[in-house]
Amino acid sequence: MIELYHIWKQYQKPAWALSDVTLHIKRGQFCLITGPSGSGKTTLLKTIFRELVPTHGQIIIAGKNILRIPGSRIYQLRRQMGIVFQDFRLIFHRRVFENVGVPLQVLGLPHKEIRRRVFNTLRMVNLHHKIWEFPASLSYGEQQRVAIARAVVNNPRILLADEPTGNLDTELAFEIIGLFKEINRQGATVIICTHDKEIIRRFGERVVFLHSGKLIGQEAA
Amino acid sequence: MTIICLSFLIIGVFLSLSNNLQFLARQLSDNLAVVFFLDKGLSPSDTEAVIQTIRSSSHISRVHYVTPQEALRRFRQRFPQLQEVVAGLGLNPFPASVEAVLKDKAAESAEILNLMDSLRRVKGVEDIQFNRDWVERMRSLSRLARAVGFFLGGILVLASFFIISNVIRLNVLARKNEVEILRLVGASNVFIRIPFFMEGIALGVLGSLLSLALIYGVIRVFPVYLGSSLGALQEIVNFRYLSLGQSLGLVAGGAVMGFLGSLSSLARFLKI
Repeated sequence: MIELYHIWKQYQKPAWALSDVTLHIKRGQFCLITGPSGSGKTTLLKTIFRELVPTHGQIIIAGKNILRIPGSRIYQLRRQMGIVFQDFRLIFHRRVFENVGVPLQVLGLPHKEIRRRVFNTLRMVNLHHKIWEFPASLSYGEQQRVAIARAVVNNPRILLADEPTGNLDTELAFEIIGLFKEINRQGATVIICTHDKEIIRRFGERVVFLHSGKLIGQEAA
Repeated sequence: MTIICLSFLIIGVFLSLSNNLQFLARQLSDNLAVVFFLDKGLSPSDTEAVIQTIRSSSHISRVHYVTPQEALRRFRQRFPQLQEVVAGLGLNPFPASVEAVLKDKAAESAEILNLMDSLRRVKGVEDIQFNRDWVERMRSLSRLARAVGFFLGGILVLASFFIISNVIRLNVLARKNEVEILRLVGASNVFIRIPFFMEGIALGVLGSLLSLALIYGVIRVFPVYLGSSLGALQEIVNFRYLSLGQSLGLVAGGAVMGFLGSLSSLARFLKI
């Protein structure tokens, strides 16, 4: 489903953030990408999301070369994906309901439908009782769950997460990854960047290792 | 908002002044009568011949013969305080005349001057009184008022354009995080831009509406506080309500300016 062919990415000469990465991820797979800081995990995720354009290479998603999609139509690709950022990127002057409902709002769904879906998704992440709170009044873990709810509220085919457990304690981290597993069981392809060895040990169905921008190995359970 | 309002206010005030001058010019033009003063002692048949000559012109709509007696009566009516002066003369100093009303637009045509020249040469016509110059002057003054309004207003509209553009730029910067999130969750460019466009248009429309309200206020208040102190100029320096078309034009102008201000700002600062 997601095919990356000889991806190279350079921000500044002479260093390469990604060097000749070729990777295939099947539909419905639960894939962890790991490596030390600066190994290119986030860059790889951003190229899949077309937030970054690789210097060389091709990315095919569901049979379509996403690098050929014009900038004005990228939104169509992103509507099929959900992404969770390490820093959550929540809108702090909007309530939890509005934050989670944003991807549905951009689709132009009726308010009643948005309300129903947001409530169901928040129940899934066990935050339905905080629907009218502002993000600032939530704990770190709760904010993370709001970000996950926003990423999955429109039932994306692909869910990407960049260090979603970066600043969480182990117990909370497992709970969050458990949520991703649940979403994966419902049919979504999930790709998570993490450097948490314990998560890789417990959840690593398929693990991709990056180092200095190079793909240095893969493991499949 | 103040500058936006001020720029439209200036355009509106000069437009209103110009409307008044146009109105005066039209009034003058409508009442524009050419008066042909006849030689004294003209026989009735010669008088009739002169009237026929004038009436036969294609630019004249109707004529009225004024006898010396009627001219005297009119004078006494209009200037009762000068009755004694006329009585002291012992005779009627007024000549017979023919008042001719011009057809619509005739006063503006170039041919009318040729006509006047030819009628001046008609036997029995001593003099012609034709106030075409006043109409022209009033029209030029109206055009000048309108041009000054558009020039000053135009400069301020340009300033407003940059102000709106900057307001939108600040909003774009303030909402950069939100815009970025919208972009990442699949919002189209149009979806992201619409609120900024609406904001620019709302600023422009509100500014122009406010200026219309102020113009209305000026029109109501001006005659009460300043009008009488202008004396003879009061007629000329007067404000007339803007027509519906002009008012709508002003509001539409505000909307267009707001839209263009947002557009320029978004093109420069919202790279999506």
